[in-house]
Amino acid sequence: MSQHARNLSRRDVLRAAAAVAAVGTVGACGKNDDEGADPNGVVTLDLWHGQVDLGKAAIDSLIAAFNQSHPKIKVVGGGGGVTADSMLQKVTAGLAAGSYPDIAYIFGSDLASLTKSPKVADLTGQLKVDGYWPAVKDAVSVKGKVRAAPALLDSLCVVYNKKLFAAAGVAPPAAGWTWDDFVATSKQLTDPAKGVFGTGWPGVGDEDTVWRIWPMIWDLGGDVVSGDGKKAGFDAVGTKALETLDRLRTDKSLYVDPKPGSEQLYQVFLGGRMGMVATGPWQLPELKDAGLDYGVVPLPSYSGKPITISGPDTWTIFDNGKAKVKAATEFVSWLADPAQDLQWDIKGGSLPITKATAEMPEWKKHSAATHGLDVFVTALDTAKVRPTISTYPQISQHVGEAIAAVLLGKQSPADALKQAVDQCNQVLAVPS
Amino acid sequence: MRRISGWHFVLAPLALLFALPLVWLLVSSVMSNAEINRFPPALWPHGIKLDGYRYVLGNALFPRWFLNSLVVSAVAVTANLVLGSLGGYAFARIRFAGSKLVLGLMLATMVVPFQLTMIPTFLVMKQLGLIDTLGALIVPSLVTPLSVFLFRQFFVSLPRELEEAAWLDGCGRLRILVSIVLPLARPALSTVAVLTFLATWNDLTWPLIAINSDSTYTLQLGLTTFQGQHHTQWSAVMAGNVITVLPVLLGFLLAQKAFIRSLASTGLKG
Amino acid sequence: MASVVGTFTVDPRSRAAKRRARGEGATGWAFVSPSVVLILGLGVVPVVWSLLLSFQVNDLVSPSQWVGLANYQALVKDPAFGSAVAHTLIYTALYVPLSVVAGLAIAIALDRKIALIGLYRTLVFVPFVVSAAAQGVLFSFVLDPEFGVANSLLLKVGLPAQGFFSDPGQALYLLVAISLWSGTGFCVIVYLAGLQGVSTDLVEAARIDGAGRWGVLRHVTLPALTPVTIFLLLFQTINALQVFDLVFVTTKGGPLGSTTVIVYFIWEKAFKTFTAGYSAAAAYTLAVALLVIGVALQLYRKRVAGR
Repeated sequence: MSQHARNLSRRDVLRAAAAVAAVGTVGACGKNDDEGADPNGVVTLDLWHGQVDLGKAAIDSLIAAFNQSHPKIKVVGGGGGVTADSMLQKVTAGLAAGSYPDIAYIFGSDLASLTKSPKVADLTGQLKVDGYWPAVKDAVSVKGKVRAAPALLDSLCVVYNKKLFAAAGVAPPAAGWTWDDFVATSKQLTDPAKGVFGTGWPGVGDEDTVWRIWPMIWDLGGDVVSGDGKKAGFDAVGTKALETLDRLRTDKSLYVDPKPGSEQLYQVFLGGRMGMVATGPWQLPELKDAGLDYGVVPLPSYSGKPITISGPDTWTIFDNGKAKVKAATEFVSWLADPAQDLQWDIKGGSLPITKATAEMPEWKKHSAATHGLDVFVTALDTAKVRPTISTYPQISQHVGEAIAAVLLGKQSPADALKQAVDQCNQVLAVPS
Repeated sequence: MRRISGWHFVLAPLALLFALPLVWLLVSSVMSNAEINRFPPALWPHGIKLDGYRYVLGNALFPRWFLNSLVVSAVAVTANLVLGSLGGYAFARIRFAGSKLVLGLMLATMVVPFQLTMIPTFLVMKQLGLIDTLGALIVPSLVTPLSVFLFRQFFVSLPRELEEAAWLDGCGRLRILVSIVLPLARPALSTVAVLTFLATWNDLTWPLIAINSDSTYTLQLGLTTFQGQHHTQWSAVMAGNVITVLPVLLGFLLAQKAFIRSLASTGLKG
Repeated sequence: MASVVGTFTVDPRSRAAKRRARGEGATGWAFVSPSVVLILGLGVVPVVWSLLLSFQVNDLVSPSQWVGLANYQALVKDPAFGSAVAHTLIYTALYVPLSVVAGLAIAIALDRKIALIGLYRTLVFVPFVVSAAAQGVLFSFVLDPEFGVANSLLLKVGLPAQGFFSDPGQALYLLVAISLWSGTGFCVIVYLAGLQGVSTDLVEAARIDGAGRWGVLRHVTLPALTPVTIFLLLFQTINALQVFDLVFVTTKGGPLGSTTVIVYFIWEKAFKTFTAGYSAAAAYTLAVALLVIGVALQLYRKRVAGR
């Protein structure tokens, strides 16, 4: 081979190899050199975004824009063959087998468990956390260190069906309303003859069943875990929260969703059979599609002060070499910049990750065009998140069983709570 | 001259009861998204809407997914038929040292559930460099203990006489298997073919773990991309299910023709 | 299955035949080796890996610790595991015999040449083919306590509305019913194939001897189907003890843990609570139980066949 031809073909072969590695196996990560960059200095990143439909379109266009403006980094958003719901299982299997992506879309409640792996990158000091809402900063920090970047932000508010309220002659709710108001309103809206329920709650005992009760606990002065993290934090006040649910049950104004996934709950609402339901901003596009005349108010509380819960999802970076971690950090930071965050929020249905994005005129326009979106954003000021501890899944399971037992009328609130507290204390007694 | 058999009164309602999910799928696949997204859902669509089908078939990668599934299933079926019948015949008719032990060991590999074994299987496939290729889906399904054992049981219940005659005439085992036993075993071949096809065509868990690139998805895996965390394209999901189910049912309709009583017994008279 | 006709053939112990029988070992191994290599080759690593995992405290993502039998000891004391075992046994005890008997009955009904028989056979097979997710959507609609068709029918007939999947006392039995409906197709197709091998000569002979339909069934058909029945009992038992997909798609082990079966317990402990070592111990307990059943079935077969 001539000198000239040899140089040319080597480059072409390497480019081709980089392309194949990008499109093909995950296992090719880091194979080119210890640092992860190919000899041209281009770092390829595998992004398992778990998005479908509109979210996928949003992230795809963002990836294309990033690759254009950052020639030294190539993000491959193949999706990883998995949607967000199955992401944890696949990432866990990947970590166990040593074959994992560079960035993955991980639910906030799963983050703490994953950080037990040394392969989850530590991003402390790398991200502009000061611009985040306080809830967001808590959600991505585990044991004081920033372990992920925020991907999707939501908050829980109550959406109500204006037509059903009018038909029942009930005044629509307003911010500052109490749980007593909620229970009474729900009863007034219930119409067994027409098959209409006042409200609904998932009855399966899964995370969606549980996370709705935390704002009630927080409002009463309790918490998921005690200050030192060794005991359940809701033993004193949990009974009152469960009793509120029990009242809804005895009033027969509550539709208990028996199917895991909570879709049926919202489908009953979309079908005009439910007066009001607690949900997140992701519901709004569907409400528009269904042609429902709806209103949005903050969650009720016991004290009259606003409080809600936010459940951010994260971009978690995995360590496949220093160069890849650096490139991945650059990518997720770029995503959180107001210009990109804006696009992601508008097309992908998230709330603004930073206050700066919420101030942008384009966002204000979008918010004005989507009825009720501003209520979700305002709620972020008083939103809290679940603690980022690795025992949270087990705590959630026990609390979920207590709630389900109460909703199905199988246990009294006091008994159900005591059982949950005992089980959670056992879990928390094990050091982790 | 054929009278309507009384059996229709038993079989028709039975068949209808079993066919309920298919009717449900067909009806909801032509509803609009908004109609299916309601609960309780409408029992009858307000006019036929093919949006779901358009969404699925219009997906640029859909033909690729269909082809991937077809390739995996076709190879798995062929391999299972060949290797399963070979192994099943040996276990049924040939005496060789250790046969009982080996058969037992093969069946014993089925005792640990897949939810656990998928991780070490992933490790093995990674070592073989097959992750994110169709090979990762094909290699583990080339032959299963179910196929081998099913063939064995069928061959055991076949009368030995035809084989013995050929054996004493000096035919080799392979020729006996191919020329004499297999033609009698059409029902068994069809059964193994259908079961293997179904197992690979409908499998979701393993492709989810083993495949990363969307051009390598199987059909089932691709269809999950219509179901998001908060928003599901229901009409597309239903249409996708119909498209997935119909080839299998068609294949079965053709395959069940093999379930006709064989005339082998007449060859034994005298 | 010794046949009457066999005693009239040439003595198989002729010298040529004997010589060939001795050399059969190589042929036998040649025939089975591709299957053996693939199945054992791919099967050994997972089985051994899971066994080793059961002796560790391992969350799959961070370094593990050897703890010997601690997982097994904890399992024995765990009421959740005990419930999972109980639920699985109830499910299996109901599902296996019912599906096999129903499969046989339906297969016999489908084993005739009348118009549309191909269509009937295909439709009976439908639930087996339709994905679990699609069936999950169908059943959660039909069985919804508030809006479902099932309860509205019950109310029309004057019976009280049921909780179905919301009732911890009913959910498991509902799963058995749904499994029967979708899993019987497997037994039907296997029995249908097996029925083709039942010798029509023997049936005729029995008829001539005066046997009615039941007599033929008892004395000719069922004995001829014994290998198939053994196969079905074994596989349906394995499938029942390892049931997972249906639970995952419908109840996720609920309500209140009443449908948590062993494999669902295994999956939860591995992927939800990050205690994979514990999960593997549960899996091996199940595995040992299956092996015991398998061996017992083998011994029973040997005794019945008289070999």
